[in-house]
Amino acid sequence: MHASAALAAHTGKLALAIRHVLAGLGHGIHAGRERGAGVEFSEYRAYAPGDEWRRVDWKLMARADRYFVREAERDSHVAVWLVLDASGSMLEPSRAVDGLTKLAYAKLLLGCVAAIAQRQGDAFGLVVCHGERARFTPALRGPRQLQRVLAQLDGTDAQGGLPDGETLRASLHFSRAPAVVCVAGDFLDWPSPLSEALLRLRGMRHDVRALCLQTRAEVDGGFDAGLAYRDPEGGVEMVRFGRDLRAGYLRKREEHFAAVARACRRHDLPLVQACIEQAPAEVLRAWLRQGGQR
Amino acid sequence: MNAGLWWWALPVLLLPLLWHRRKRERTEAAPLATARFLPRAEPLQRRVWRWDDPLLLLLRCLLLAALVAFLADPVLAWRTSSVLVVPGSDPASVEREVRAAGFVEAPRLLLPGRDAAAWIHAHEREFAADARLLVVGDVAMPAARPRFRHEVILRSAPAAARPVERHVAVFGPRADDWRRLFGALDGPVRAVVDARPDARTELIVWDAPEAPPPSLRAPLWWVTDGSAFPELARAPQVDGIAYADSARGRLWHGAAWPPRDAAAARALVAAWHDLHLGVQPFTAPAQVLAPAAAAPVGTAGGALRAQLALLLLVLFVLERSVTHVRRR
Repeated sequence: MHASAALAAHTGKLALAIRHVLAGLGHGIHAGRERGAGVEFSEYRAYAPGDEWRRVDWKLMARADRYFVREAERDSHVAVWLVLDASGSMLEPSRAVDGLTKLAYAKLLLGCVAAIAQRQGDAFGLVVCHGERARFTPALRGPRQLQRVLAQLDGTDAQGGLPDGETLRASLHFSRAPAVVCVAGDFLDWPSPLSEALLRLRGMRHDVRALCLQTRAEVDGGFDAGLAYRDPEGGVEMVRFGRDLRAGYLRKREEHFAAVARACRRHDLPLVQACIEQAPAEVLRAWLRQGGQR
Repeated sequence: MNAGLWWWALPVLLLPLLWHRRKRERTEAAPLATARFLPRAEPLQRRVWRWDDPLLLLLRCLLLAALVAFLADPVLAWRTSSVLVVPGSDPASVEREVRAAGFVEAPRLLLPGRDAAAWIHAHEREFAADARLLVVGDVAMPAARPRFRHEVILRSAPAAARPVERHVAVFGPRADDWRRLFGALDGPVRAVVDARPDARTELIVWDAPEAPPPSLRAPLWWVTDGSAFPELARAPQVDGIAYADSARGRLWHGAAWPPRDAAAARALVAAWHDLHLGVQPFTAPAQVLAPAAAAPVGTAGGALRAQLALLLLVLFVLERSVTHVRRR
């Protein structure tokens, strides 16, 4: 379990790690409405890296000596929105796996979702909540969009807090078309502008799927008692951890996430809590399946 | 307790050294996303091996060192080879002995009494290791052969018996008998009968039936009528003399006093000399005492106590002042 997560953390290339995760995932996790490439032929377009080989038109290649891909007309207009919480607290490292952070894990999983969406021919876009502002990548289809999104994810660094409500409202305004909103974050701030935006989107009958990332040390209260700690998004105040404080810490944390889960349940918003030490494929499956079962 | 053990208290100097280390706040802290679920903590303070207030630190160290020194009562070996002169020695013979022993340059010390061995034992630490001591005069002979760490040359000479005056006061109708008794004394001790007792009076003869005035005091009383002294009622007896201690002094009571014949008078005077004035020690024979490294050293000291006390006071005042100034 650790090995897989560590591999994800240590693979420099996000695309490689995504391919590794998806290779272990199998098929059929996503209830896509794509009827299959080329059912209703629309147009040819030039091959781009990332396109599936089976969609390459071999006869055309023999004629033109170039790769072309058959684009199919789709009747589905589901857009997948990837929302990444890149506030400072997402830099929380796994205290068990070296180099693995919540942010890296969230990037990996969102990248996987993007790759799946691209495979299915869905349009997908990215919103990175990043240091008091939201970086917005509009939803498009195709392998180039995947590369764009992966590059955006790759270049994201966590810092600062969450954007305010106004910024989020401006960034997360979707058309009336049904959308799947996949949010990865730590949900330590709740209620927050982000949570309000998610609940609002849910109220607009979008399919919002939240992934709450935690570390094993956070769940067990297993921090090093010899260090002083501070909140990465707070001030300079220091806190201390010790065996005497563990019970209180666990209780407060439990209360907080119980409130989060309650709010999600009330708004019929599926929430998956996962430790970043878990295998990414399992978490991804749980995250996507839960939405489908609903 | 040996005062020298106080030197082991010197490690208390480490305390101000530790306390004066500079405090540095620990500011490095690891980020923790779930820090909000933990209570606030005061920043830890770490002390580093740099000192603040060096003046105060120095004063405190000196104060502690001075206190330890004061308690340890150090003795400086400042005396060199010396000539110790027993009081009452003939100056001419002292000169002769000093010249004969080659101690002309050496400083001379007048001993407080005849017991040179006790004095040397008490003050031996004050002499340098290579010092030699010449003792001249009528040195009392100790019970055992003394051992010293320094070479001690005894050039003793028995002094000519000098008459010693003892002041006596006599009360009662038979004062003349007593005066005659004291007047007939021969030997080194002469009794001087005073009309009124004063501070020098060593013996009061109370030959009267009434009680003496309470202000009258003397080391020894000879009482002929014990009825006035309740302390004598159950007093033990030695050789026909009942003795008891009272607030006025020691009481001797003899029923047959004043002595009727010369033998009884001599016996009474001999008892006075032997039992009350004490036996005069013999003169120690002239000899050279070789130094013995294992000889015990005396405990007496206090030579530097006054200076150390003054130093302590000064340091204490300075330390308080500097502390006060720093606080403001």
